[in-house]
Amino acid sequence: MIPFEYYVLLTLLLFCIGLIGVLFRRNLIILLVSFEIMMNALMILFASISHYTKDVQGYIIVFFLIALAAAEAGVGLTLVVLLYRKLRKVYADEINYFRG
Amino acid sequence: MDLLVFLYLALGMCIPGLLAVLSKNPVHAVLWVLVLIIHQAFLLYTLGSEFLAAVQIIVYAGAVLVLFLFVVYMINLRMEERWRVFVKRSSLGLLILLFFAFFFFKSLAFLTALSPHFKANLHYDLSQGTNLWWIARYLFTHYLFQFELIGVLLLVVVLGAVFLLRKLKEVEGDSL
Repeated sequence: MIPFEYYVLLTLLLFCIGLIGVLFRRNLIILLVSFEIMMNALMILFASISHYTKDVQGYIIVFFLIALAAAEAGVGLTLVVLLYRKLRKVYADEINYFRG
Repeated sequence: MDLLVFLYLALGMCIPGLLAVLSKNPVHAVLWVLVLIIHQAFLLYTLGSEFLAAVQIIVYAGAVLVLFLFVVYMINLRMEERWRVFVKRSSLGLLILLFFAFFFFKSLAFLTALSPHFKANLHYDLSQGTNLWWIARYLFTHYLFQFELIGVLLLVVVLGAVFLLRKLKEVEGDSL
């Protein structure tokens, strides 16, 4: 039996990796990919809690999270495509549309 | 043996995650995330849910990442030409990252301290049915409203994507 702390540490590590991508990358697509990594970290946490307490709730939350991640990827990629059509750029620090 | 499998899966998730976040080429990043997601599907399998492992592979590897790859190819992203891959003001980002890491570490330490007192809310028993049976049982009774809500959400996403992309074409006329 693997201790529960290991899963928590793995969650923390993966979440921070995703956070690095969100905070430091310029490319909007890689930013969305980092959001997916963060969401995957949360899935591990919910599934491990569910596994250790013999509870179905966590698995169901993971199921909903997968559906939510698909929806989020759809909306995010739509916005990236719109932005690319309008400005021809996908780099976050070059998009300064409102400052003229 | 369990621990070895877990360590392999953890390494197989963290290293591709880092490589995906740090890679210059978006196509490579998406493919590294694919490696991460396949390892995560196995991790979900070791956590006792074969159904979620299958859903993870079908939805993520089959749909979401293909969507990402499709968009990367569609808008024809080349490699980052400039040497600088990261944003300019990264010192503020580093501060925020350290703050969040500290915050998460504290809250997760709290969670592990609390974990012996966890009590099951919707208890399940593997001798009466498989994991999939229990998930289906609670999903279609206890969580039926939320399930329908997720369906409506996905419908809204599809309609929103179609609407947004159509609108701009009418306004600008000749773009794309």
